[in-house]
Amino acid sequence: MSVILGYIPFLHPLSAFHDLWYLLIVPLAFGISMIYKALRLTDLNRFWRQVGIMTLQIILGIIGLAIALLILVQMIIPALPGD
Amino acid sequence: MNQTANFSDEPAFSPMAAILAWLWPGLGHISLGERKRGFLIMGGVLVLVIGGLLIGGFDAVDRKDDRLWFYAQALCGPIAFGADYINQNHLKSKPEPDQLKTRGLGKVNEIGTLYIALGGLMNLIVILDALQFMPKRESEQPEAAQSDEEAS
Repeated sequence: MSVILGYIPFLHPLSAFHDLWYLLIVPLAFGISMIYKALRLTDLNRFWRQVGIMTLQIILGIIGLAIALLILVQMIIPALPGD
Repeated sequence: MNQTANFSDEPAFSPMAAILAWLWPGLGHISLGERKRGFLIMGGVLVLVIGGLLIGGFDAVDRKDDRLWFYAQALCGPIAFGADYINQNHLKSKPEPDQLKTRGLGKVNEIGTLYIALGGLMNLIVILDALQFMPKRESEQPEAAQSDEEAS
């Protein structure tokens, strides 16, 4: 709480997210999707739906990569024969 | 009357639109008549830039200590240079104990820097699209909707 009380936007870093940094993937994916879809779509009437789908695709893709890396590091590599 | 008569198959070379796209994200497309598209691009880039500055503070843009990151951030345009100016001349010029409050550390600084750098790299694509501009047809034909589905 004290971290938030002393926070001045833009001047101070948002330290409240120091332990919740992984949640910041959501606005990042949303911003990237907005720019990509604004450039790519011919029909902008379906813009927000397409942005939502792409945001979800990016987040699920990153979660998939995280799971794959977890399996590789925690299970496969320790199971390899040593020297 | 043929409504597609204004659309050419050849992209138009428009360096002024590219310069405007760098000066302010989305302005290039607005100048080319793609008003709605330009405002959506502007919104997307500003989500990344303002988000990055909110997360990491002005310290997320640092021309001297994070030079390689700054090359990507500079593609956002004068916003990045303004943030760096504030960081160099108003925050980093303070005495060391005062700098501890405004200096981003660890993941918060990294993610703030990443947000703005990605905003710059996405704006590079916007600049290139404005430079070699090809109007997108907002037709009522079903093929347009189908190609949108394929694009996703």
